[in-house]
Amino acid sequence: MSCQESLRTQSYLDGELQGVEAGVAERHLESCVECQALAAQTADLSDALRKTARYRAPERLRARLAAQLDRETARKPARTFWYGAASGTGLTALAAGFALFLTLPPSAASLAQSVSDAHARALTSGKMIMVASSNHHTVKPWLAEHAGISPPVTDFADAGFTLTGGRLDEVAGSRAAVSVYRHGNHQLDLFAWIDRGAPLPAPGIHRGFRTRFWKSGDMDFAAVSDVDAAAFEKFVSLAQRQRE
Amino acid sequence: MDDRRQRFEAQALPHLDAAYNLARWLSRSPADADDIVQDAMLRAFRAFDGFRGGDAKAWILTIVRNCWRSAGAASKRRGHTSLDENLAADDDPEGTAIQAGTRRRLDVLVAGLPEEFREVLILREMEDLSYREIAEITGTPIGTVMSRLARARAILRETAKDCL
Repeated sequence: MSCQESLRTQSYLDGELQGVEAGVAERHLESCVECQALAAQTADLSDALRKTARYRAPERLRARLAAQLDRETARKPARTFWYGAASGTGLTALAAGFALFLTLPPSAASLAQSVSDAHARALTSGKMIMVASSNHHTVKPWLAEHAGISPPVTDFADAGFTLTGGRLDEVAGSRAAVSVYRHGNHQLDLFAWIDRGAPLPAPGIHRGFRTRFWKSGDMDFAAVSDVDAAAFEKFVSLAQRQRE
Repeated sequence: MDDRRQRFEAQALPHLDAAYNLARWLSRSPADADDIVQDAMLRAFRAFDGFRGGDAKAWILTIVRNCWRSAGAASKRRGHTSLDENLAADDDPEGTAIQAGTRRRLDVLVAGLPEEFREVLILREMEDLSYREIAEITGTPIGTVMSRLARARAILRETAKDCL
């Protein structure tokens, strides 16, 4: 590869360039045959690697790890201050405080935390999907019946995001309908819940997952996944544009 | 279950597949990958109080890579296991639709890449990490990440032509 722009082209293809830089790379790519060939071959290679090669942690390792954490936890029993505090007369006051806290709309920070937790919980528990279907005519009514809300559900398989099913979950104390998508080896969750007027968090990364929040109609939405930035942006814009 | 353990399981365990995948591709051996990941997760659990939110995936993968490097130093003293033996392993990669022959050939080619090229390729192509995250995990400048990634892809474009 002798084109001097090839590293910039690669960065562009990997979704690493923004604004002016991306524009420069895009214009170069339009005119450079060598970089066009690079782009096509790199995409083929990415596809081949994504289809074949990612290993999953075997069950034997999960079991070993759980046993090891058991031993580690048993080594020093954690009897903390709070354990003592909660066992005594402070309990009623604590419960009253907690009840008050529950009636307030969640803060932006706790929302970001809550959707990342829910996504992580679903990934580890193996309960990612409660209704498995790539047909939005199946997923949508299931969500309406079980979550009591009926967000739009669209399969974006043509754009690389395949609808794989739906799930009932909870976001900061509210019932949420989740549409589950797959992109290569990665899962994407699209949460929807009834808007309670809470401020929504800014885009960010929590626990290694990208999160994005928006409001539409009387619902709040959140997309959560560990896909790369470019794919995540694409998914968010598809999800934001979908209609009933 | 205590609270610390619960928080650890919620934050670190979702990245167990990513940890295993990296360890598996670095060590090229399922048995070594098990040991590396177990060691890494134990270290992560012990250091967990010092982890203040942020990117748990990058944090875990950094520890995995460090464990691999210290294990690598130990196994050089022990002598190496052969690549062929390791590839005839009992853990299959994801994705069964692809012909086994093609998959195996691409596996062998990736496994045969020099270590510094292999790790950036795995982190980018399989874990979808950004250049900045890869630079943090591997402790190298972003420019080096870019050139190693370009090199790794150039080698595979050449050697894996008939698998693509």
